[in-house]
Amino acid sequence: MVLDNLSESLKSIMRKISGSSFIDKDTIKEVTKEIQRALLKADVNVKLVLKLTNTVQERALNEKPPAGMTAQDYIIRVIYEELLKILGTDSNFDLKPQTIMLVGLYGNGKTTTAGKLARLFMKKGLSTGLIAADVHRPGAFEQLQQISGDVNCGFYGEKGEKNALKIVRNGIKELADFKIKIIDTSGRDSLDQELIDEVHEIKEKINPDTVLFVIDATLGQQAGPQAKTLHDAVNIDGVIITKMDGTGKAGGALSAVADIQSPVYFIGTGEHMDDIQIFNPKKFLSRLLGM
Amino acid sequence: TIRRDELESTIEETLLEADVSYDATEEIIEKLKANLGKLKRKIDYPAVEEELKSVVRDVIQHNNKDAVNLLTVEKKPFVILFLGINGTGKTTTIGKLAYYLKSNNKSVVLSASDTFRAGAIDQLNILAGNVGVEIIKHDFRSDPASVAFDAIEHAKARKMDYVLIDSAGRMQTNKNLLDEMKKIKRVAKPDMTILVLDAMIGQDVINQALTFSSEINYDGVIVTKLDTDAKGGSIISISAGIKKPILFVGIGQEMDDIIPFDVEWYLKKIFSS
Ligand SMILES: Nc1nc2c(ncn2[C@@H]2O[C@H](COP(=O)(O)OP(=O)(O)OP(=O)(O)O)[C@@H](O)[C@H]2O)c(=O)[nH]1
Ligand SMILES: Nc1nc2c(ncn2[C@@H]2O[C@H](COP(=O)(O)OP(=O)(O)OP(=O)(O)O)[C@@H](O)[C@H]2O)c(=O)[nH]1
Ligand SMILES: [K+]
Ligand SMILES: [Mg+2]
Ligand SMILES: [Mg+2]
Repeated sequence: MVLDNLSESLKSIMRKISGSSFIDKDTIKEVTKEIQRALLKADVNVKLVLKLTNTVQERALNEKPPAGMTAQDYIIRVIYEELLKILGTDSNFDLKPQTIMLVGLYGNGKTTTAGKLARLFMKKGLSTGLIAADVHRPGAFEQLQQISGDVNCGFYGEKGEKNALKIVRNGIKELADFKIKIIDTSGRDSLDQELIDEVHEIKEKINPDTVLFVIDATLGQQAGPQAKTLHDAVNIDGVIITKMDGTGKAGGALSAVADIQSPVYFIGTGEHMDDIQIFNPKKFLSRLLGM
Repeated sequence: TIRRDELESTIEETLLEADVSYDATEEIIEKLKANLGKLKRKIDYPAVEEELKSVVRDVIQHNNKDAVNLLTVEKKPFVILFLGINGTGKTTTIGKLAYYLKSNNKSVVLSASDTFRAGAIDQLNILAGNVGVEIIKHDFRSDPASVAFDAIEHAKARKMDYVLIDSAGRMQTNKNLLDEMKKIKRVAKPDMTILVLDAMIGQDVINQALTFSSEINYDGVIVTKLDTDAKGGSIISISAGIKKPILFVGIGQEMDDIIPFDVEWYLKKIFSS
């Protein structure tokens, strides 16, 4: 899986710590340097890496390991705890009737994820309808329509209509009988004020119950700042990390989570409609640290 | 001015924050230190930045010296195949390049060889209509290689100048999809293969660029989404690590949002702010 590489480099750091008979200041410095390198190579935001490794270093130097715990095990625990702080606590997505809006950067997987979520909800017995509010990308309407056919869920769109808000309004009415409504929106980024305003207006006027930020695991240093801009515009309630079947290490996505402090609910692991899994931070980190 | 001992970490941070790969960052810092050795004690930041710019310029320019000029190629039809992971901007870029070629009085046919992703054929079809070029398409889930074959035959019969072949996004970790791409390439025998990369990707760029290089091979790279806040350090990472030219960059979602890669334009982008 994706995080194997980061996990591998952290594991080798762990082996190093476990291998040394005692931990002095220099060892701790060397070890934090390696943790830094591993996190940077996994696209964790540069400033966040510095902050994180400073904390780890300080705690390792100043705190006394609890009785019965070796210094080595203690450093491992400190790293684990600090990373877990970023990811937040366990967060199970509430499968209740609701209107969900998906937002995110160009091509990160919103439309595909809309279909995956629809299938997930319907498996739990919740009828689902998709609303095609991407009025910008050519073929976005057809893509979502075809996906709704594949997963056999409801669909609303207005081909050729350029007003996204109008489509969403009509869609919510038309799909009133569906327990779950999922709004697919255009890709956008922080520098496109018009598109930011568009999604802000939909949020204000429609007030969806849940706004989910879809972000791809290959994203680099821009993940945090981009998430922040969107968060300011629409108030993000949760995150879905896509393309975890690739080699992207999702450190960008983790940094976005650190910036907006929203839980990760799901990960995408492929292009097919079944390729979605529930995100579990502890499992994810245990794997990451090889524990 | 900047303290010598702070210099390295400051530059390192700057480059990593621009998504330059870890290895390329180290390489650049080594070169920079070698060059700055001449400057002795006195180091002020603007001078360092000028020196850094020139090191980066060298890294990029080196690979772009003998990039092919697409407008003056002799072979007809000139067949170009596009590949890349999911969602990087392949289909949009094909529309843009068709527009660019057509604006230069060239005839173009598109091959709708992404027969897999929902709405992909519709998307390319709409772009072809908007730009005003021909498109060859088969049914959803049909064989992508035979679409390409037909598009090339179509171009040959009508003495057209270019065939641009779209393809489904594929993770470089998916062996079946890599094999499918090999087949498309075997059948289409493209004159040029282009890897499309998203400027927002981070350190994964090297994985993508290396795997596609060893599995499929390509002649050059197009980096999309440079209109965003992303600095697109992948351009430096590719130039340092893979030694492939950067051909064009995408700077928006509209059909004229593409420009031939220009080193000075890029240096301005990456060193602004
Ligand atoms: N391998 C893989 N591909 C994915 C995943 N999620 C989405 N994709 C693919 O990524 C590409 C982009 O997905 P879309 O759903 O169109 O992305 P989008 O965010 O709606 O894109 P725009 O609407 O253009 O901004 C498609 O080729 C999808 O099949 C995933 O988890 N793994
Ligand atoms: N801002 C900006 N958006 C771009 C650029 N190039 C492509 N996009 C957007 O990125 C998204 C994905 O583009 P596509 O052309 O569908 O990408 P693709 O690689 O064909 O995607 P798949 O076929 O699903 O793998 C769309 O929303 C495009 O409008 C660019 O240069 N700038
Ligand atoms: K980049
Ligand atoms: Mg979409
Ligand atoms: Mg495409």
